[in-house]
Amino acid sequence: MTPEDHSRRQFLKSAGAMASAHYLRALAPAAATIAQAACSARDEGRPFTALSEGEAADFAAIASRIVPTTDTPGATEAGVIWFIDKAFSDPMSDQLEATREQLAAFNAAIGERGTGAARFSELSETEQDEFLGDQEGTPFFRLVWSMTMFGMFAMPKYGGNRDMVGWDLVGFVGDQGAWQYPFGYYDAQVHGDNTNDDV
Amino acid sequence: MTTFSTREEVDFVVIGSGSAGGIIAKELSTAGLSVVVLEQGPYRKATDFTHDEYSIVMNFELHGGGPDVHRQTFRHHEHETAGPAPDGLSPVRYARGVGGSSVHFTANFWRLRPDDFRERSLLGPISGTNFADWPITYEELEPYYTRVDWEIGVSGAPGPYDAPRSKPFPMPPLPIKSSGVLMEKAAAELGWHAQPQPLAILSQPHNGRAPCMNCGYCMWYGCEVGAKSSTLAAMIPLAEASGNCEIRPLSVVTRIETNDKGRASEVVYLDADGNEQAQKAKAVVLSANGAESARLLLMSASPQHPDGLANSSGFVGRNLMLNQHALAIGVYEHPLNDFKGVQVSRVIHDFYETDEQRGYYGGGGIDARPLFSATPILHSFMGMDPDVPRWGKAFKDTLAHDFTRSLSFVSSSTSLAMDRNNITLDPESKDAWGRPAIRMTYMDHDDDLSMSEFFEDRCMDLHEAAGAAKMWRFGVKPLTGGEHLLGTCRMGSDPATSVVDSKHRSHDVPNLFMCDGGSMVTSGRGQPTHTIMALAFRAADHIKTAARAGDI
Repeated sequence: MTPEDHSRRQFLKSAGAMASAHYLRALAPAAATIAQAACSARDEGRPFTALSEGEAADFAAIASRIVPTTDTPGATEAGVIWFIDKAFSDPMSDQLEATREQLAAFNAAIGERGTGAARFSELSETEQDEFLGDQEGTPFFRLVWSMTMFGMFAMPKYGGNRDMVGWDLVGFVGDQGAWQYPFGYYDAQVHGDNTNDDV
Repeated sequence: MTTFSTREEVDFVVIGSGSAGGIIAKELSTAGLSVVVLEQGPYRKATDFTHDEYSIVMNFELHGGGPDVHRQTFRHHEHETAGPAPDGLSPVRYARGVGGSSVHFTANFWRLRPDDFRERSLLGPISGTNFADWPITYEELEPYYTRVDWEIGVSGAPGPYDAPRSKPFPMPPLPIKSSGVLMEKAAAELGWHAQPQPLAILSQPHNGRAPCMNCGYCMWYGCEVGAKSSTLAAMIPLAEASGNCEIRPLSVVTRIETNDKGRASEVVYLDADGNEQAQKAKAVVLSANGAESARLLLMSASPQHPDGLANSSGFVGRNLMLNQHALAIGVYEHPLNDFKGVQVSRVIHDFYETDEQRGYYGGGGIDARPLFSATPILHSFMGMDPDVPRWGKAFKDTLAHDFTRSLSFVSSSTSLAMDRNNITLDPESKDAWGRPAIRMTYMDHDDDLSMSEFFEDRCMDLHEAAGAAKMWRFGVKPLTGGEHLLGTCRMGSDPATSVVDSKHRSHDVPNLFMCDGGSMVTSGRGQPTHTIMALAFRAADHIKTAARAGDI
């Protein structure tokens, strides 16, 4: 059992779990996603390094369906797209072209649906979820899924996990140094009579 | 800092600076013998260690890279052609750098028990295996376990099934965690016994080193305060302070050269720039771990040693034992925050001994720990409820809820020694240094799988008794790699069925000594490092005695 093996099993298990949906075209969310990406780029004071604006919009949109924004921040607020761009501009630069081709094939399947949308970021959120439901076993989706997790939870220096919103989401107080017990609910019940003094 | 010329014949070259090599280097150098330690990895200091999960866990920083660099191959059976392991990981997983895997281990320290050394006599033969007694007894090794406790630094408290000890633990256990409290509760209900886990992590200042600050980054990370009792923290500074020891990092050994008398004469390695060097020595100590030591011996074949150095028995690389593990994850009502503190605070040893009523050989222990839920990337990949969708709002909500509330009960258990499980040289693949790639052939004995399945059931029992809100298991599968690399240069009295004698000297090459996990005859119950370190202190005593007598 390994990360790959386990996630594969989980993907298989959840494949087909999405209910069928209508192919309604709604441009607003896609535009919003692109705007957010552009906005983030402005905040960064730089354009994307490895990705085109269109590619970035697609990756950002996929990430935001994997960890959506709800009443708490999601992949968009964590700046997952900045992790992805940064990864493809250096450590994974050798994978950029192959991934680009995968993204193009991924988008081609959207074009073939005849809904008028040419790429993922142009679909409505409902359509995006429906489309992803058919994709979750593919190597491309698994790659973006993995990168979304890294962009959520890796140290902010890698470009994502802005303001540590990923860590805040799960209640991880991060890599700060020292802790004093009790650490959690259950050990708080016994500390004082069951620790370091019994030897 | 002491340095030696490669042309100067030092007393000893020690290959590897990990759990065994670090101790032997310290013991020999502080006894006045000159030592060069060849370590393939870099010389990191405590201050170099970080909490960077992405780099360390996902990109194998302390392993010195992943499968693309090390290019090992795997197969279950001899008739298959070996290739990349099916899980995408390196089959042989260990840390490269001064201190070896003692830098990144989780630091669970279980002694073997007296029966471990004589199981073959007690239980009889097991067909299809090389199940054997050790050539030494627990009583012979006990003083060295105690030296590990005190000189390396082990925290703990006595438990109901402990082997006899000549001195108490030098310091009390680390604080109990919520996972430990839930294990105690469940064990009490089931009639089992949860005891403090012995750990090679300091709970108090010891030998001038600082204690644990409960940061939570033990498993697979280096300790930035030196509280984890690696040989980097506990031994290497003493070796260097002796003035007799040079640690030579980034030295990738390619061959042990022998002369026409059949003695080891020099050790050939690639330096940091990739240039070939050779260090002359009176004697060689090989402590590169149970996979790398075997590979190097096989790579050091010569006309006098056509099947590999020290391999007249054919036992070099054979009898590989990896230890099975099983686990079950549970999610509880309230936050445990088990990402704080050491991994393991409690362990159950009620199933240590072979129980013939179970119908198969084996035993082990179960511990309580965050495991995958120690850090969030690992949790998202490995620690999530399999019944929850893998993306979307339900996925996010589960991430947010379960991370702090998860714990794993994890078993570690026996592996049997068999011819079919081994390390050999891959006939095709080479690693990044041009050496023949390690080829692992491994298929667990049926008893090992049965034992692990038994433990997975017990892990589920514990979650049930502890009141988990939900729980799941993974199913026991044959191993495709591991971190515990045992048995491949086993010790024994008979040169026909072992590689080193009871004092860790090669049966074939009189000035070649070997000590690491490969020396072990049986697998213990799945936490071997305390034993590897005890063997190293004992081996060093014998090697020092031999050196003083001019017998190297």
